[in-house]
Amino acid sequence: MTFATLLSAAFLVPLLQTTLRSTTVLLFTALGGMFSERSGVVNIALEGMIIFGALTAAVSAQLLEAPYVAQNPNAHVWWIPWVAVLLAMVVGAVVGWIHAVVSIKYKADQIISGTAINLLAAGLPSLVLRYLYNNTTSSKEITNRLPEWLGFSPLVYLAFALVPITWYVMFKTPWGLRLRSVGEHPEAADTMGINVFRTRYAAVIISGMLAGMAGAYLSIGILNQFVRNMSAGQGFIALAALIFGKWHPLGVLGATLLFGFAKALAIQLGGGDIMPPTIIEAFPFIITMLVLAGFVGTSRPPKAIGKPYEK
Amino acid sequence: MRAFGGKGILITLWGVVDLYGRAKAMPDVSWLGYFTIFWVALALLVVVAAFLPEAKSRARLLYVLGLAGIAVFALEAFLFYHSVWSVNDAALAAGARRPPLKRYSLSLGAYVSFLYSLFLIGIGRMQLPGGRALLVRWRGVIVPAVSMLLAMVAGAVVVWILKETHLPQGSGALAYYAAKLDQVTYTFQLLFGPLLTASGWFQSLLIATPLIFTGLAVAFGFQAGLFNIGAPGQLTIGAIFAMLAGVHLANAHWFAGLPPGLARAIFLPIGVIAAAAGGALWGAIPGWLKARFGAHEVINTIMMNYIAASIFLFMIASNEYTFFGKWTLHMPFKFPGYEGRSYEVAESARIPLLINTLGFHQDSSGAWTGAFSWAIPLALAFLVAGYIFFRKMELGKRLLAALAAALLGYFIGGFLPGIPMHVSPKLASVRLNGAFIIAIFAVAFYNYYMWRTRDGYELRAVGLAPKAAEYGGISIAKKTILAMAISGALAGLAATHYVLGGGIDEYRLKQSLPTNVGFDGIAVALLGQNTPIGVFLSALLFGVLSTGGLQLDLQLGISRELVMMLQALIVLFIAAGGFLPRYFTDPILAAQAEEGVQGVL
Repeated sequence: MTFATLLSAAFLVPLLQTTLRSTTVLLFTALGGMFSERSGVVNIALEGMIIFGALTAAVSAQLLEAPYVAQNPNAHVWWIPWVAVLLAMVVGAVVGWIHAVVSIKYKADQIISGTAINLLAAGLPSLVLRYLYNNTTSSKEITNRLPEWLGFSPLVYLAFALVPITWYVMFKTPWGLRLRSVGEHPEAADTMGINVFRTRYAAVIISGMLAGMAGAYLSIGILNQFVRNMSAGQGFIALAALIFGKWHPLGVLGATLLFGFAKALAIQLGGGDIMPPTIIEAFPFIITMLVLAGFVGTSRPPKAIGKPYEK
Repeated sequence: MRAFGGKGILITLWGVVDLYGRAKAMPDVSWLGYFTIFWVALALLVVVAAFLPEAKSRARLLYVLGLAGIAVFALEAFLFYHSVWSVNDAALAAGARRPPLKRYSLSLGAYVSFLYSLFLIGIGRMQLPGGRALLVRWRGVIVPAVSMLLAMVAGAVVVWILKETHLPQGSGALAYYAAKLDQVTYTFQLLFGPLLTASGWFQSLLIATPLIFTGLAVAFGFQAGLFNIGAPGQLTIGAIFAMLAGVHLANAHWFAGLPPGLARAIFLPIGVIAAAAGGALWGAIPGWLKARFGAHEVINTIMMNYIAASIFLFMIASNEYTFFGKWTLHMPFKFPGYEGRSYEVAESARIPLLINTLGFHQDSSGAWTGAFSWAIPLALAFLVAGYIFFRKMELGKRLLAALAAALLGYFIGGFLPGIPMHVSPKLASVRLNGAFIIAIFAVAFYNYYMWRTRDGYELRAVGLAPKAAEYGGISIAKKTILAMAISGALAGLAATHYVLGGGIDEYRLKQSLPTNVGFDGIAVALLGQNTPIGVFLSALLFGVLSTGGLQLDLQLGISRELVMMLQALIVLFIAAGGFLPRYFTDPILAAQAEEGVQGVL
């Protein structure tokens, strides 16, 4: 492979497609994380939520399709992947709720609580996989994955559509204003009659739902099974994108596109002899660190972030 | 009395359940009925105690009941084993080839009654004045202990749900629940089983060694107000550095002529220092990024973990890389062959196995013989004794005196006649090595540095109140970098166990380097409440659980991830303060509770 091939359409078109796909995961996760962090709760558990979502989607789709596949190995049932996505969102919400209870009600250190959930996400899937498939690394492959519309999964369109939607919710609705006020100055918000705890619970649960959806996209949108550690740090990169994007939907869109591009580049170059794949794989992480070091000083986090609210 | 596979019987309160109807022999448990009556009576008396008007008499009665419960538990355990053994002995005497009751153990009921008795004594103490203050004063133990118990309950639920029980048709609900409960009990018995054998202890210490390092690393960060999730990466880079020193420096041709003793005296310390230096470098980078740019160390250390993993693979997966299709890079690190691993560490840079250090060696036939040498144990004992004895001295001199005492102990121990002992092959196969001694020194260093030096005091000040520390003239930026570097160095030292000590079967850097122990360090530090002794004990606990987890995998097919899950839950529950009342977790409320301030509780 030479430089010339890098500029050919045969390389660029798939690169663009892969960029959009890998951005989708980050975008869902980062937009969800925005709700949580704007309300004042650090959500480092995004990584674990993605994994739980991915596991739920793959396993539930497999279990749902099992009776149909038993009759016809190529049975296509259109509603199965959608139900799987829904269930992944529900599980994401439950994980978010756990994070919320521990960090809001019991006023735990939010980073430690999130790390615990990430550790849980590293261990629990293997137990479930062993129980269901007698295998600790991956789930059974499914036939009913998410459909593709014009070359992309519907979730890709949804992720990009969520950018204006979250912008509207966050900056143009009363609920969004309340959410932001809770994250900036919870005492003032409380005095105004806003229920700080309930708002934070809602925000963290929403972030869990969106991260769960990102996970579902990973396991039944891009692949057709759950693979151990399939999120590979994307939850953390999404968190960095959130900081880089200054906790604003448009900024987050730009940041996730950048990181998505870095990841796509790594995927597309991985097979070639431009550079050893082991080095290329580190690119997204190095770029994330550089971006964090360069831009963190200029972006201002929500004021009450990471602080449990004492009534 | 196991309910899986073949035959099994369970002893319940209601009598003996023969699950499969095929048991060859039944132990005589006719005494069980009396104990059932006793426990019911005990419970009734406790209810009576609750209504006693006077606090003192309440406490006294509960104490008596609790002690009686423990005594009866001991009697019960004795009778149980006695009856099992008598059945077995009778069968063996009658000429049976194997004892009919092969695996047996106390069941959940017995453990519950024991815990209940302990609980009664605790409640008794609570009745007296100052009871709650006492509890709060011990919160450093109570919060982790409660979290641990909760995590075990959650783990039990998972086992209950995920592990199916095979019972014959028509066994009935009682048998089903008894079998399920028994399965859960057995799971935890297996998990704690290593505590009962010498090789189990050795294996547990082996697994605990790297956990001590990473636990200390995370605890060190916590004390300075930093959350170092980068231990996996720091360990990886430490391992690479150790490999470079141990393989490529120690084997370099211009050192070929050194006598073996001298070479060992040079390269072994260099290898250890290289491991620490690699970790320190990888820890200092996120520290600097935080100090200079304010980038949060949590995200950066995580990113550094992935980058370290890439570098690791880059060095060990292949020796030839092509860039842009033209330039080829040749590297000397990978050992030829399919597997990704480095060359062997030079003889001179290897950390000896502890079993060798203790005076045992393998003869030509492969059997382990020798005598237990007192040198190392006495040296350690003298070190601690010296440190305690010279407490009047100034700190530097005190340390020197303790070291001199250790040397003295080493020589005295060396001249003492050893105890000839038989080493079982199972024990000898455990690769517990000198890295464990380094780990003990690391614990001592952590204690000394954090609580006995000015630097440590300043670090803790930064961790507790950064603003106040800054006004006190401490440079937060410098302290952040320093803390992250030392934390990284501690994590890097874990590589001495894996690479120089041959912790993963060979004296090489291998692709199977278990970097996950870096994350386990978080649980270790939290469970140990960031204290030196706490970190050591909780690392040991996780070592025991992991060793038991191996058995679990073999015997029950419950994957070892159960242990990982328990760790994660422990972290979560400790973060939530064990779901205990606020005056356990909030320092100000706790202080008031200790003082017995009214109106707080």
